Amino acid sequence: MKKYVQTTAAVSNFSSLPLYQRFSIPDLLYVGYGLLIVGLVLVSYVLGAFNLLPHDPQQINMELLMAPPGTAGHLLGTDFMGRDIQSRLILGIQAYFLPGLLAIFIALSGGIVLGVLAGYRRGYTETVITYFTNLVDSFPRLVLILLVIAAFKPDIYYIMMVMGVTGIPAVANAIAGKIRVLAQKNFIEAAIALGLRTRVIILKHILWYNCRALLIIQATLGMGEAILLETSLSYLGFGVQEPTPSWGNMVQSGANYFMQGNFWPSTAPALAILFTILGFNLLGDGLNNILEGKRSR
Amino acid sequence: MKFMPLRALARTLLKELGLALLLLLGVSFVVFIILYAAPGDPFSVLLEGQMPSEQALAGIRVALGAQQSWYGQYLSWLHNVLGGNFGTSVRTGMPVAGELIHVSLNTLYLTLGSMLVTLFIAVPIALYSSMRGHSVAISWPLTMLGYVFSALPVFWLAYIVIYVSVHGFGFFPLSSGMGDGWLYTLVPVLVLGLGSGTISEVIRYLREEMSRVMAEDYIRTARAKGASVWRHAFKEGLLLPVSEIFAAKIPFILGGAVIVEQIFNWPGMGRMAWQAAQDRDFPVIMGIALIAAIFVRLGSMIQRMVFTAVNPHGARD
Repeated sequence: MKKYVQTTAAVSNFSSLPLYQRFSIPDLLYVGYGLLIVGLVLVSYVLGAFNLLPHDPQQINMELLMAPPGTAGHLLGTDFMGRDIQSRLILGIQAYFLPGLLAIFIALSGGIVLGVLAGYRRGYTETVITYFTNLVDSFPRLVLILLVIAAFKPDIYYIMMVMGVTGIPAVANAIAGKIRVLAQKNFIEAAIALGLRTRVIILKHILWYNCRALLIIQATLGMGEAILLETSLSYLGFGVQEPTPSWGNMVQSGANYFMQGNFWPSTAPALAILFTILGFNLLGDGLNNILEGKRSR
Repeated sequence: MKFMPLRALARTLLKELGLALLLLLGVSFVVFIILYAAPGDPFSVLLEGQMPSEQALAGIRVALGAQQSWYGQYLSWLHNVLGGNFGTSVRTGMPVAGELIHVSLNTLYLTLGSMLVTLFIAVPIALYSSMRGHSVAISWPLTMLGYVFSALPVFWLAYIVIYVSVHGFGFFPLSSGMGDGWLYTLVPVLVLGLGSGTISEVIRYLREEMSRVMAEDYIRTARAKGASVWRHAFKEGLLLPVSEIFAAKIPFILGGAVIVEQIFNWPGMGRMAWQAAQDRDFPVIMGIALIAAIFVRLGSMIQRMVFTAVNPHGARD
């Protein structure tokens, strides 16, 4: 159990220092790299919307199968059907992004409601919410998703809704913990004494002023998890279906060729997964250190 | 050990058992509701390919005791499950229960083994960087490595390992069971331990906790009087965080096991769940969800017990 020790000294304020001293260099690098990955999402949508992809990602070219990277016209080579890997990789970003946003939205909104209720109202409400979060945590996420797939249909949006619901406990616990800490501080007491409405205290003083950072971090980490889940399920054949490209089904479709020594068609999407999840995780951790005023070593 | 707080342990065990039962009841209810809400009559799955008359359908419903209301169905299902009857698989027509015990033991072996692999890698790194963490030259590459491993897609890692073991060592690590010699079972365990995506989180959590404990007053006192710092820091700095992360990561690793079992043809729960999701084999997937939830609750109970053993007074609140 976490012990929180209330310090009387004010938290030191870095704001008088110049930027490069206020934050550690690794944190800035982490966040920079993460923002680059987020930027790629925009690039993907812009290229997709204006038809600027180097090739049609669905176009089959039987004359140029398994071209290695660097082939003229196909910067990252082609897959076993002669489809351009670069275009498929770029389009594969869209496979995770909107579903991932849905999952994050559900996790954050549900987590905020339950977290505020649990943190602000003690007693009976808190018990019920703790039961709910423990209940959701009892399901391994992938098993619950397979259950929903069996019951309904393998649709990526269904999957991401389950992902969102299973993400609620983490957010709710974080917010409830934060509120428990804040409730001991003077400004909440002062706000109550001044007669501010509970709604204002919760929305403005607790959520907006004090939980912003936490929510942003949860969102970025949630996106990393969403990508992992989307690619895993597409890999297993339940997520995005061929011929629509997802990094997961790209790895899967290259599997047989991988064992024959043709590594690239599987490796390219796998590296894309690696660097993207890395980006979102680093973004989250970098933001955490910067916004929460922690120095990373 | 000087004083074994048996009473506190027993009290925690009882409390946690009660909580676990309550939660498992909830789990069974959620599972039932999801499948109850599924489109289509479950019996149409049973009669797929045939064209039963309305009368025949109604007859089957009566024969299977399904003409009751939804809570009647839930209670009768729960009654069966409590008696160890998980129903029969739609695909194979065999009772689910026996198969479930078999595959869940296989998965338990895979999960616990991979967790040990993760800890063997993570604990030394975490300890080292919490003790000597001020030297960026050492801790930074280790931290980066942890990040990379947690973002690594486990299926791709598995491909690499399979390729290397086939072409480099000349053996094919796709097992058909645990009787094939320990080397075959070791490869999937290693892959899941390395690639389940938990390593970096474990490292970070253990390092944070260890650093926090090392800054506590009682460690300073121990150091000042020349006592073993390690012995004083062990319980709070390592044992508790390890048990916490162990309990918290079980669901995650069980999820990773689905993929690893699928790739390595490991006859476990995850593979069975995958198959069942494809066949819409409700009894199987219901049983798997329940067993997985039991694993999760067991992990959390172990964690509470460790916490009570370390700190009998703190467990009372």
